[in-house]
Amino acid sequence: MSGGHEHEHDVEYTAPLGETELRVKALESLLTEKGLVDPRALDELIDLYEARVGPRNGARVVARAWVDPAYRKRLLENASAAIAELGFTGRQGEDMVVLENTPRVHNMVVCTLCSCYPWPVLGLPPVWYKSPPYRSRAVLDPRGVLREFGVAVGDEVEVRVWDSTAEVRYLVLPERPPDTEGRSEEELAALVTRDSMIGVGRPKAPERRPR
Amino acid sequence: MNGVHDLGGLHGFGPVVAEADEPVFHAEWERRAFALTLAAGFLGEWNIDMSRWAREQMPPARYLAASYYEHWLWGLEHLLVERGLLTREELEARVAVLRRGEAR
Amino acid sequence: MRVLAVADVGRMILKGGSARVHEPLAARFAPGDRVIAKNVNPVGHTRLPRYVRGRRGVVARDHGVFVFPDTHAAGLGRKPQHVYSVRFAARDLWGPDASPRDAIYVDLWDDYLDPEGDR
Repeated sequence: MSGGHEHEHDVEYTAPLGETELRVKALESLLTEKGLVDPRALDELIDLYEARVGPRNGARVVARAWVDPAYRKRLLENASAAIAELGFTGRQGEDMVVLENTPRVHNMVVCTLCSCYPWPVLGLPPVWYKSPPYRSRAVLDPRGVLREFGVAVGDEVEVRVWDSTAEVRYLVLPERPPDTEGRSEEELAALVTRDSMIGVGRPKAPERRPR
Repeated sequence: MNGVHDLGGLHGFGPVVAEADEPVFHAEWERRAFALTLAAGFLGEWNIDMSRWAREQMPPARYLAASYYEHWLWGLEHLLVERGLLTREELEARVAVLRRGEAR
Repeated sequence: MRVLAVADVGRMILKGGSARVHEPLAARFAPGDRVIAKNVNPVGHTRLPRYVRGRRGVVARDHGVFVFPDTHAAGLGRKPQHVYSVRFAARDLWGPDASPRDAIYVDLWDDYLDPEGDR
């Protein structure tokens, strides 16, 4: 994905400190003994975000907007309500805004202060989104960051970077790929990548259909 | 607070390196730290702004060297101790017990 | 204290907890207004990033009324007020090396902003 892959940067933000595992175990055992947490509720939370909430939700929103102009209009006017129509609501997505990419405008999303991210539609954020390289440079050098993701944006295009400093969460509506006329909503959803909904990627090109 | 968490515009952190087919969690402790934070937040003893503020008080050199869920863990410990739901001594004692168990 | 039970997890997550406040408070600014992000350096929690402090921008949209994090984090109340998406030209933040077309949109509360005429 990146040019100049440097292993040291790769491990720096993912490796735990030596004692971290012990501390988490200690905390869970103490809080459980005190009756402050129920470990089964923890299992349920983990399962929810590991198996049920993720970028496939956002892909369904995008695909619906591509095939249904009335939905697209509702999505751009009141994103929270339009996304809730598909059943995606809740924590870290209570107040949504959808940003439409066009041939003239490319939107990308960051949270420079922590790592705010629209959980109901994208799931939990990837490591790179939470790490200093992205949080520092997305606002300062967005075109450089986009190049590292392999996304070329022409000089005629305006790049808009959205820093999620408040409780509003942003989802990018990428441009529908060419040569996708007649594709079903489901086929289109399969082309929508997580990165395209953050604004650091583009949807996949459709596979050619045998004639 | 003019903290190191306020990263916008800084140089020197290197390129953005994305992991292909990245899993939601990278280790079991991340799963538990994530869920513990949400479950403890449900107790209603603090709000989301207090959670962010807690994480921002992590010492700056440690903050920059730590991963996301380590920030969460640090903030959670800080809030639990501050609210009197846990003492620092209790926590360290339990860590010590578990460490001895691990070494056995 | 409420302890999270397994049966509550789905509901708790799907319901979420919006920081939006349904009070008809007057907005100090409207889309199109020129503003300056305050140059302040509070020792407590704030969501006003350093890179926009003292910089000029234009209100792009009014998100409505939300809890104010600076007081809420300190246990000093919700102090509800409007949040705006403020557009800063990349060159106004980063100087002539930035692209003349690009812009950074930052969500800022009423208390973080002054009208441009004030300075």
